[in-house]
Amino acid sequence: MLTLLGLGLGVGLVIVISSLSRGLDHAQKKTLDPLAGIGTDLTVTLSPQQQTGGFGGPFAGGGGRDRDLIAANQSVLTDLSKLGKPGQHFVHDFFLPGSQLTFQQSSVSQIASMPGVASVTTGLTLLAEHQDGIVPKIVATLKTQRRTFQIQRNIPRPTAAQFAAMQACFAKLRGSNSSGNGGSGNGNNGSGAGGSLGGNGSGNGGGFGGGFGGGVDRGAFAKCLPASLRRLRTQFTTPQQTLRQVLNPPQTNIKTSAYTIGGVDQTHPTQGLVTTSQVTRGRFLSAAGGREALVSGSYAARNSLKLGSKIDLNGTSFVVVGIVAPPLGGQSADVYLPLKQLQTLAGQKGLVNVALVRADKSSEVSQVQKAISTALPNAQVASSKQVADTISGSLVNASNLSHDLGFAISAVAALAAFLLAALLALSSVGKRVRELGTLKALGWTQGKVVRQIAGESLTTGVLGGIVGVALGLIGVLIVDAWGEKLTASSTSGGASGLFGQLASATQRTATSTVSLTAPVGVSVLAIGFALALLGGLIAGTAGAMRAARLRPADALRQVE
Amino acid sequence: MSEVEAQYRVSGLAKFFQRGPTTVRALDGVDLEIAAGEFVALEGPSGSGKTTLLQLLGALDRPSSGDVIFEGRDLVRLPDRELASLRLGSFGFVFQQFNLIPTLTALENVEAKLAPTGVDDIEGRAERLLEEVGLAERAHHLPAHLSGGEQQRVAIARALSVEPRVVLADEPTGNLDTKTGGEIIELLAGLAAEHGSTVIVATHDATLAERAPRRLSMRDGRLVGIAAVA
Repeated sequence: MLTLLGLGLGVGLVIVISSLSRGLDHAQKKTLDPLAGIGTDLTVTLSPQQQTGGFGGPFAGGGGRDRDLIAANQSVLTDLSKLGKPGQHFVHDFFLPGSQLTFQQSSVSQIASMPGVASVTTGLTLLAEHQDGIVPKIVATLKTQRRTFQIQRNIPRPTAAQFAAMQACFAKLRGSNSSGNGGSGNGNNGSGAGGSLGGNGSGNGGGFGGGFGGGVDRGAFAKCLPASLRRLRTQFTTPQQTLRQVLNPPQTNIKTSAYTIGGVDQTHPTQGLVTTSQVTRGRFLSAAGGREALVSGSYAARNSLKLGSKIDLNGTSFVVVGIVAPPLGGQSADVYLPLKQLQTLAGQKGLVNVALVRADKSSEVSQVQKAISTALPNAQVASSKQVADTISGSLVNASNLSHDLGFAISAVAALAAFLLAALLALSSVGKRVRELGTLKALGWTQGKVVRQIAGESLTTGVLGGIVGVALGLIGVLIVDAWGEKLTASSTSGGASGLFGQLASATQRTATSTVSLTAPVGVSVLAIGFALALLGGLIAGTAGAMRAARLRPADALRQVE
Repeated sequence: MSEVEAQYRVSGLAKFFQRGPTTVRALDGVDLEIAAGEFVALEGPSGSGKTTLLQLLGALDRPSSGDVIFEGRDLVRLPDRELASLRLGSFGFVFQQFNLIPTLTALENVEAKLAPTGVDDIEGRAERLLEEVGLAERAHHLPAHLSGGEQQRVAIARALSVEPRVVLADEPTGNLDTKTGGEIIELLAGLAAEHGSTVIVATHDATLAERAPRRLSMRDGRLVGIAAVA
């Protein structure tokens, strides 16, 4: 009986542990292989992390990338007064490219033509800030005064030749006595930059007009002067301008919630930011690319969205046609729209910020990666594994643990079960030496005694295995019911410190939560069962053989 | 005692045990003849060699030297398989500790002896034997649920189940009270006579020894006097 329970416990343990290990593996495969699920081997993005200044190629962004990024992201930080009159309620979604710079959608054709590349699709993943509240009044309007600056400079003495020329000119003027026109200056109106940012955008270059007003004579007279002697008497005036500035970030009831939004090339349903295989409910976006949206399961749960729900984005309504389970990684999003729709919505027509590349063969992935990196030195080319490395969280830890130790733990548990079974069988035979001696005294042959014990061990093993399977299943049920939540999150972008507060805004964090389950495999059950059986059988038989070889007198002499 | 009748012919039988550096001479030169159907009591204090002699007579052990010739065959020279077959068919053992298989019922304990012989109707035979020892009603009890006397009755039923030619009993009443011991002796003597078996009983119970027509006395591994009651 004890042997039986011991065996059962061992088998149960093996089953629970190996099932757990399998469960973790499952969870890992599901969550931590971010690109495989989207039919992609490599992602190509432009990130502002290197300060390389201008760069060529199709991914040219021009200028310092940081400046670009700040410019691209600042819209949400600007002027709330544009949303309506102060005191009005507003709902608005701001779309920011986040840490990935956009590039022309058409430029990916360069990648598509590279050898080893099977197909390329593009996507646009944006950070979205959903704001909802009352338009604040804390926008100051500042009017600057027109200001005129005058500059005077002394004239150097004219040379003798210049002087002679001047005299001649004057003489001629006196003769003609015609009235000359005053030179009208070219007003080079500097346009005040800055504008809405309300920064220090100062209108430079005032009107270079004015000039040598004065009398007609004087204007003509001035023409006789050599260039160097024309007295530089210039003046420029800054235009009057109005600067509006948010004085302090307003403390209003404005609620901001951030989410990520992805533009999917819906014509490629098997490769892209999200693919048909990730649709858990509903369907994928239709090829026509209408006003449809896919939402991630967690986002749907947070915002109580269902199939058929409507998402209103700045006045455009999108119908939720599918719930998806996007893989973690840099390109996952909460909401997916057809690419064109998002481009229009976010004012990013023709622009994308990620190219998803599939290689012809998995063995060529690294070559393709190298080729793209070489051709586009400023692009970030990430392979599936590199993306996976950015994922962190308890699931990763547990999964790594399971990956590294899972097998070892399973093996140790199996070995423990085996040893336990063997030990129990051996000890049970050891206790029965006297009994075996009696059987021999009764005239049982050694073979019959061993066969008897082996048969009993087999029975015990089978029963123990059944008990173990039952215990294991109970254990697995407990684990499933307990359902510890494992999370994995992936953070991308947000080069720390680069843009101060912006950094946190551009950081994209996707979190996926998976309930820990322990799927029971028939093989696991069979292995646990077989191990206990084998352990019991081998040890029992070995013990019986040793005991049965004793002469009955010696066996009987054994004290209990 | 004619030579023809002798079932056992024992000569120069010795058995030594090594206990650390000392050699224990459990049996130190025993010569003995026993005729078929005899009831022999083997008397002597503990450690005098009674059990060892019984085990050698019952082929449970092999001697250090000497011969045990049973029905013309030298047990010393027979292979293990032959000895097992002799134990099964020719000898019946009754032990002081009863030595029933604890996981088997009374009936199954008897069947355990009958099973390897391949006789028909094992259960029926076992039931009849338990009836003979007065335990028909307790046939399906485990040894733990039986009294000492009852357990010894089961052991006797088991020993006699194959109609052995020799019943070897080692202190069969040693663990029983006087009254029960007496009943067991009655049973053993009566049944042995009925089945025509030779009975060799090792005992230091004088009452039991007195019942035996022939009493052998042992001291330090030797027979010290053969007292045969006429």
